[in-house]
Amino acid sequence: MTRGTFSLFVGPSVFIMLALMTLPLLASVVLGLHFITFRNLDEPLWIGFQNYQEVLGDPEFWDSLEFTLIFIAIAVPARIVLGLLFALLLDQITRFRGVFIAAALVPFVMTPVVGTLIFRDMFDRGGPYWYWMQQLFDYRLFMNSTTVPLLIIFHSIWTATPFAMIVLFAGLQTLPQESLEAARVDGATWLRQLWHVAMPHLRSLFIFIGLISIMDAYRVFDSVFVLTQQNPIYDAETIMYYNFQVALSFGRLGKANAMSVLTVLGIFVVLIPFLVMTYREQTEEA
Amino acid sequence: MTRTNQPLARLFIYIALALFTVYNVLPFAWTIMNSVKLPKDANARIPRFVFSPTGENYSELWLNITPDAFAPYGLALILIFCLLVVICLSANRIPAPNSAVYIGCIFAGVIVALALPEVVNTAEFYDYLINSVIVTVGTLCVSLSIGALAGYGLARYRHVVSVYILVIALAFRSLPGLALVLPFYYLGQLSGLYDTHILLIFCLVAVNQPFTIWMLRSFFMEIPREIEEAAMIDGAGRLKSFISVIVPIMWPGIITTGLFTLLLAYNDFLLARILTQINWTLPVGIAQFTGGEDPGHVTLAAAGSVSVTLPILVVIIFFQKYLIRGLASGAVKG
Repeated sequence: MTRGTFSLFVGPSVFIMLALMTLPLLASVVLGLHFITFRNLDEPLWIGFQNYQEVLGDPEFWDSLEFTLIFIAIAVPARIVLGLLFALLLDQITRFRGVFIAAALVPFVMTPVVGTLIFRDMFDRGGPYWYWMQQLFDYRLFMNSTTVPLLIIFHSIWTATPFAMIVLFAGLQTLPQESLEAARVDGATWLRQLWHVAMPHLRSLFIFIGLISIMDAYRVFDSVFVLTQQNPIYDAETIMYYNFQVALSFGRLGKANAMSVLTVLGIFVVLIPFLVMTYREQTEEA
Repeated sequence: MTRTNQPLARLFIYIALALFTVYNVLPFAWTIMNSVKLPKDANARIPRFVFSPTGENYSELWLNITPDAFAPYGLALILIFCLLVVICLSANRIPAPNSAVYIGCIFAGVIVALALPEVVNTAEFYDYLINSVIVTVGTLCVSLSIGALAGYGLARYRHVVSVYILVIALAFRSLPGLALVLPFYYLGQLSGLYDTHILLIFCLVAVNQPFTIWMLRSFFMEIPREIEEAAMIDGAGRLKSFISVIVPIMWPGIITTGLFTLLLAYNDFLLARILTQINWTLPVGIAQFTGGEDPGHVTLAAAGSVSVTLPILVVIIFFQKYLIRGLASGAVKG
């Protein structure tokens, strides 16, 4: 493909992104260098990197980062492994496939705020899960600083596994049939087919899911907002939630923007391995 | 991949998938139950699975008139809907192209939907639905058409420039929603498009474009180059071979991506909240039920949750047939 054709293909998309997203990105960078609250919106005060110093010296920031990283470390692998598992199970059958996929889509399809409310109702006093746990295991679930973070993680696995499952299932349906046939003729077991044919074929989908999941997990907000009911005693603040508090509860817009910039940088650090893989993929001669 | 024939293994697979299904749908099933409960049933200490259902919550949500007054209109709507479905199903027997029949039916449905508030006194929730549909469909069309072009270009142009574009897209995508609030509001005021569908559509396209191009790119990467190279040797240009050869093969991938774009657009709360004043979409409309101590709030919120979720579920289930058919036909065998 020549450079000219490439620009024609990519042009419209790049134009819309640049036109609308550059301002927010630049605004975050610029406002992050100012002292600005709702009271001095018109005349922000230039304070250089003071906001950044303040954020980095803030123990609450590090607490929220810690929880966010724990959240990512549990939720993202769980989604991918479960998604692959159920995609492989779905691949084994033909009957009722549609039903299983439709059902799996329910938690994923729901508007996040709605889904989280529903999820909370299940575990609240009087909700079915709460009641069954009490009846079956004699366990009374209390919302405390252990259970609420666990519920937040569980909720994210509940909503996001179908995404991984559907994408991987779609990938499994497009496996190169010749390679599979060849593997079969050579007497390769199912496990070997999975490892040598399916996994390499699914590689770019794994990268894609991992990338999206990490970014979404890094920015998890809605479920924290609903499940903690904005109560700090549960000790389940994620970066985004703390960012929201800094902006709206404390009114420190400059500091919040500095945190946004740090978030973008943080996500990129997390994503370095993925970026390197993509770079290789894009520049290798095919 | 090879399927197992052992009955025990197959039984185990079905049981595992069935359990997974219960785990997935139970919370929503519970909400559907709550949405047809009276407040005293919904607020019971012990979860009630048996109760006498009521439609009160839905009529309070959707109508400004009593259910009895709405009954004849409701009946008429159901009849019109059934008629359209029958026409679509028998499209083959009508002496007109199938696509013309489908488009005609959709068009008729849209006109009925838009005309309804003129005839019946519907509540605001109905307006939110119409707004949601317009914004979602608009976003879907713009996002997929430009996204497919870009995704294809990126999959085929092996150069550092593609990496730059992908990385910049990531930077945009990784920007926290909170950072978008003030600039987008400002853009809306500046362009005079504040509270219009157009602005919301373009902002949603811009926000979701990184996701769209990344996803389409990974689908396009899986198509062997030989396919369009053959078409180009036959004398077709890049664009023509893309539209006539690649897009038909890629339908499953494009529909899958479309599904996710649809969800992102339909479920968006933050942007719709900032960029609209009265033209709310459904997620913004439902947010008003998320707080409050009124005991009726649980059931009304449940009815709202079901109302917001059902349209998208229906669309997804409808498209899923396409998805699976496209995937199963093995169009991408290469």
